[in-house]
Amino acid sequence: MFDRRLVAFASLLLAARALPAQDTTVARLRHRADSLAIEWRRANVLALIADSLERERAIGGRDTVAVGALRIVINRSPLAVREAAVQAWPLIDSLYGTAAQSLVTRPYFIQAVDPDTTVRRRVLRVGTEVPWNLSVQDLTSLLLVNVPIPPPDRAFGDWLGGPVRPRLEAKAVAGRVYVRLVIAPSQAARSCFLGDLTGCRSALDLDDAEDAFLKWYPTALERRVALQRSFADYFNRPATAGSWNRCTRGDDNACIQLLRSIPHHAIPQPLDLEGRRLLVYAALRLGGRGAYVRLLADSNAAMSNRLASAAGVGLDTLLYDWRREIIAARPAAVTIPPWGAFIAFGWIVLLAGCALTSSRWRVT
Amino acid sequence: MFRAILYSQWKWSRLIVALGTVAAFVLPLVSLQGAARADRSPLEAAALLHAVQSWGTLYPLLATALGLLVAIATWAPDHRGRHIHALTLPLPRWRYVLLRFAAGATVLAGPILGIAVGALIAIAAATLPPGLHGYPVALALRFGLAVLVAYSLFFAVSAGTARTAGLILGLVAAVIVIQVFASVANLEFSVVDRLQIILVNWPGPLAVFTGRWMLIDV
Repeated sequence: MFDRRLVAFASLLLAARALPAQDTTVARLRHRADSLAIEWRRANVLALIADSLERERAIGGRDTVAVGALRIVINRSPLAVREAAVQAWPLIDSLYGTAAQSLVTRPYFIQAVDPDTTVRRRVLRVGTEVPWNLSVQDLTSLLLVNVPIPPPDRAFGDWLGGPVRPRLEAKAVAGRVYVRLVIAPSQAARSCFLGDLTGCRSALDLDDAEDAFLKWYPTALERRVALQRSFADYFNRPATAGSWNRCTRGDDNACIQLLRSIPHHAIPQPLDLEGRRLLVYAALRLGGRGAYVRLLADSNAAMSNRLASAAGVGLDTLLYDWRREIIAARPAAVTIPPWGAFIAFGWIVLLAGCALTSSRWRVT
Repeated sequence: MFRAILYSQWKWSRLIVALGTVAAFVLPLVSLQGAARADRSPLEAAALLHAVQSWGTLYPLLATALGLLVAIATWAPDHRGRHIHALTLPLPRWRYVLLRFAAGATVLAGPILGIAVGALIAIAAATLPPGLHGYPVALALRFGLAVLVAYSLFFAVSAGTARTAGLILGLVAAVIVIQVFASVANLEFSVVDRLQIILVNWPGPLAVFTGRWMLIDV
């Protein structure tokens, strides 16, 4: 039999030996973390210096073109940058409103290059290389899609799928959203198409609900179809095969369970991001020059409230305006243009005329 | 005179026209298969459009085949008889050719009507999801124009002499040779692409064949 006092004494001895060892390990790890933090700070400072030097290099010996609040730092070349900026600025100004003034401190850096030479160019780490024969229209598009506006907060960026950019092909985008509203395998999208704004709200993921997919796909069939279309391979594996088989056999609870296991943004949504972008454009259009600032003012607010605040109207009014724009952009389904019939008829007459002038009967 | 030529045209091409009419009638019905089912899922709007689009590729093919076969059938007996029958008729050539053309175009009315009736029945029987609409008249009109353009084209080629056919073939060969030389010389110049753009885009003669042939659409 062991003496209990002996056991306690031995335990104390072991603990006394272990504690300094543990203390040493923690101290060593802490020291390592500190040194890593110091290295990170050093690297950060070096990166900032390099960035600053690159910027200086990019600015050195260059011209700055100023149009409105746009500032474009560019080397001397025949590139029609001022003309492009003149076309781009009204679009940028009308979209961002007062926020566009921040572009004064955020210039574009453009390096115009000769498109016909194979001479090796110096590496450019700041800005964009552009062939100097780029057309004004293409350069305008380039300026519009690369507006150096500060990025939005993460919640908004995630919801929109990126920053707000000026519209380039408004009618075509609205037409695509129209088609999506018609063919989306979702009750929410269909009811939105038919005029139910609650459906629009759900389809645009503005409900802030925990299980938003229950509103996107309110019926068991829709949920099952959504899973079968996008996650058949993902769920049909040993870990989830049981739930998957129950779901495909019609057990809606199993489908809901599987959908809950997927991150919110990974679940296929009734409308793609183009629909949301159109909604943001509608909000900015309705809200006037301060709309963009209001949109980004409160990053913790619900997306529906932010959009309504930006637009300066209720969410339903905003959704009504958005839906009206999309319905008005119904794509033309007629397969030939109105004058196409006349042109085709003209070709028929011309070809028949060719047959009339054939010389097969010429007697020689 | 037209009645006699139409009768001979009908005799020569009735099999082609009958088969073409049946195919034209059936095609719209088949392309909307399942759309009339009461248990059709409301989620299948995209699948329905996809099926209609896939079947739609057959419309221009059918139009081309009908135009080609009827044009060949129109001239084949004359070519075989070395045009002796035509030369014995008290008609100037241009009038004879016009009558032949009109007779061929008239028998092609069968397939065009077939597609119009088939499309109208298919749309009437189908239950379309909200937002989708049927376009039977536009489709039939387009099919009619495509058939007549194909028929006119092949009629003109078939009416020509061996020399004309040789010229056309020579032209095609020249285009191919130029394209090959341009490729070998590494020139960024594509004759075939340019020709294709000219021919298949409006107002080109083949533009009526291209694009989506949709019986139903948004």
